[in-house]
Amino acid sequence: MIRVATFDELDPKLVKDLCKILYQAFAVGAEHSGVVTPPSGMNEPWDSHRLLREAPKVAAFQDDKVLYVTSRKLLPRKLLTGEVPTFGVSQYNGQRAVVSFAHIKNPTENVKQLARYALQELGHTWGLHHCLDPRCAMYPHWTPSYPAGDASFCVFCRETSEQKIRLAKS
Amino acid sequence: MSETGTLRLAVGDRVVYPNQGLCKVTGVDTKEVAGQKLTMVSLIREEDGAKVMVPEAKVVAIGVRKVSSSDEVDKVLEFIKSDSDKASLDWKARARTNVERMATGGLMGLAEVVKGLQVLSELRPLPTKERELYNDARHLLVAEMSASLSVLECDAEDTIDALLFPVGKERPKRTAEEFRALAGGDDDELGLDGDLMGGGLDEEQPEEPEAEAEGESAEAAEGDDGEEKPAAKKAVAAVEKKLRPREAVTAPQEAMKKSVISDVDVTMPQASPLIEPVKRKRGRPPKPKPEGPPPEPKKRGRPPKPKPDGPPPEPKKRGRPPKSASAMPALPPAGLTGKKK
Ligand SMILES: [Zn+2]
Ligand SMILES: [Zn+2]
Repeated sequence: MIRVATFDELDPKLVKDLCKILYQAFAVGAEHSGVVTPPSGMNEPWDSHRLLREAPKVAAFQDDKVLYVTSRKLLPRKLLTGEVPTFGVSQYNGQRAVVSFAHIKNPTENVKQLARYALQELGHTWGLHHCLDPRCAMYPHWTPSYPAGDASFCVFCRETSEQKIRLAKS
Repeated sequence: MSETGTLRLAVGDRVVYPNQGLCKVTGVDTKEVAGQKLTMVSLIREEDGAKVMVPEAKVVAIGVRKVSSSDEVDKVLEFIKSDSDKASLDWKARARTNVERMATGGLMGLAEVVKGLQVLSELRPLPTKERELYNDARHLLVAEMSASLSVLECDAEDTIDALLFPVGKERPKRTAEEFRALAGGDDDELGLDGDLMGGGLDEEQPEEPEAEAEGESAEAAEGDDGEEKPAAKKAVAAVEKKLRPREAVTAPQEAMKKSVISDVDVTMPQASPLIEPVKRKRGRPPKPKPEGPPPEPKKRGRPPKPKPDGPPPEPKKRGRPPKSASAMPALPPAGLTGKKK
């Protein structure tokens, strides 16, 4: 089960459409777990690591995934090899993922675009890595072509996620 | 890698087991076997809790090593940044080199596999088995970098990918000339007309058959997990087996990754004590039901849809196994020791 927690009151249609796409992509149920309060003292752009660590718990089973969705900008991360724009982060093989749609115009009309970013972060929680196929949601999301792609996986990533999910359930 | 050196391990040490990933030392015990003292090192794979015991005397020969230092990570990042590496166009040579890199190349070896296949993919799509190898190498590289730098895995992967997929750019396309210049020109089983970025990365390249078919029969005997791995995977495993015949135990927990750990003793618990929280239990919440009627869930299958457009042709080899005969063997009961041959 994918639990979608939002940091803001969002258009219910957006949340509903997002859940539907997540369900289609993973064949795992997705539902809105409600609005949660961000950790105190966060200034925009938000620190994505802190969100991962400190976002309030939502009721979930251990093999559930929790996707935190925000309309706020996330702070680009400074890595050893440079600064990378950050639209989401996640715990690999873990439970939590965060995704922001601050950069998406008309998110309600562009849920697929938001979902593409969400798919990547959730994919990481199931152990997927970045992909070579620019059409795939696991392609690095800072590439120029990324936002225009579909909210779906390439065959390799889809099969890999299926295996991982099956494994988690067994 | 010296086979004569020794690696003193103590409980709590974190080590890298070639092809398997990060393990923690959980015990170092000396037993008397047939009048001889034998010191066994117990390891547990962090990712899934797979256990393995290795005679201390064989630790180095097997290639178990300490997690790379941050200096080594720096060198690896320098290497990834450089544009010097081109994979051989001869897929057999490539497979051989990559198997060695995975087994004995350390962190740099993993980076070489990733970088080499990445660059090759900029010439044309990777055949399935190399796509899997690319993923395996990336997985091990990310995990070790994360451990070495004490950063989240997402940051470790993005650290690499800031180099491999520079921010704001699409990936370059390569020409066969770039490769030939290094390879000395005897290509070429190369599907040069492969549509690089749009051609379906999962296509099997007929020019590059499942490597080393002769290894497969041996591997096919493996069967008690009841199901075949994708043929390509078997082939890779077979190649690997030839180089490292000591690897003889298959623990069927995670079909994604080779679970061959060692010749000694592998136990697969049903859940990982370290990484994966104990799996699912009684009473899940009421059946998942996305708000709003989901597209009618087909027989537990995947709902209609997926697949990016310009759908990549269904994979020819790695075809999705029929659901019931999936590549994922059922988990063994807890404590079962998966021993093959
Ligand atoms: Zn990512
Ligand atoms: Zn993919």
